[in-house]
Amino acid sequence: MMVDRYSKSVYNIALNFAGNSDDASDITQDIFLKVYNNIEKFHEDGNFKSWLLRLAKNHCIDYWRKNKINKSRVELDDNIHTMAEDIGQKTPEDTIIQKHDAYFLREKLKILPPELRLLIILRDIQGKSYQEIADEFQIPLGTTKSRINRARAKLAKIILSEGKKNGM
Amino acid sequence: MECKKIEELLSAYIEGELDAAARQEVGQHLDACSQCKELKETMEGLLQSFPELEEEVPFYLKNRLHYIPESQDLEEDKHSYIKWAVAVVGTFILFLNLFYFTNIYPPANRTLHGIASNVGTFVVETGAFFEKIKESKDIFFYSFFNKDSEKNNNNSTIGTKIESNGGKNG
Repeated sequence: MMVDRYSKSVYNIALNFAGNSDDASDITQDIFLKVYNNIEKFHEDGNFKSWLLRLAKNHCIDYWRKNKINKSRVELDDNIHTMAEDIGQKTPEDTIIQKHDAYFLREKLKILPPELRLLIILRDIQGKSYQEIADEFQIPLGTTKSRINRARAKLAKIILSEGKKNGM
Repeated sequence: MECKKIEELLSAYIEGELDAAARQEVGQHLDACSQCKELKETMEGLLQSFPELEEEVPFYLKNRLHYIPESQDLEEDKHSYIKWAVAVVGTFILFLNLFYFTNIYPPANRTLHGIASNVGTFVVETGAFFEKIKESKDIFFYSFFNKDSEKNNNNSTIGTKIESNGGKNG
């Protein structure tokens, strides 16, 4: 069934794009609604997964435009702190660190422009090939590679500068 | 090579996509430049951490997704105004009943009873009016059709009278 087969992929795009599970759930639900309502526009000879991912990608960017998911840096830091405390009451230490890292990383991802963020999600989190992503975004392979490299470097610089700021 | 150029090649270097000469050149730069080395190590760390960001779909979301009716949503959207209209009319009727059968707001109660009696009178009068129309229609049709039949009857009786008279005379 469609939900069992594709929901994980769509949810993870939404989760890592929006940075939190509430927004991700809304985005995922909207994407599936869109899929059901536009299923007649999908040509049977085409690749359903890439059609779905294109829809997901476009919806994420629309959602970002409408809601401006990005929040201020100060707010993020507060949230990270609060979330670490919340998790600390419920889960073992390893999970705290892991969840905290995931939360931290997602918040940093949100600083990237939406298109670069999606490229990182598809390549580094979902493990798609450069060629698949190039087809998805309808851009040349070389451009895809250089954009992904730019996104990684940007993210690495953000993390490095924050580490230096915090004296790490 | 400049740091900027090295930065552009870092992903290819980490993923082993550079040819031997370029790889050696980048490697030499990284040994000499601590900033670029730091950037490369952070990128490697990121690439190791990224797959951990994948999560399972929460069960509540999966349930919600399973319950999305595949084709009815658009229809529902189109007809959602009917639901609202029914809700508004229902609420209105509920309030009418409340004011009519209870005396929580006497002016409304009086007005509603006044309206109800007016409506009653109107219904009775309308009924009587239609009854009159019906009667007059019946009378009209009765007189219209009976004129012809009376004429026929008269003619036929005249004919029989003539026949019977002729028979007698003959």
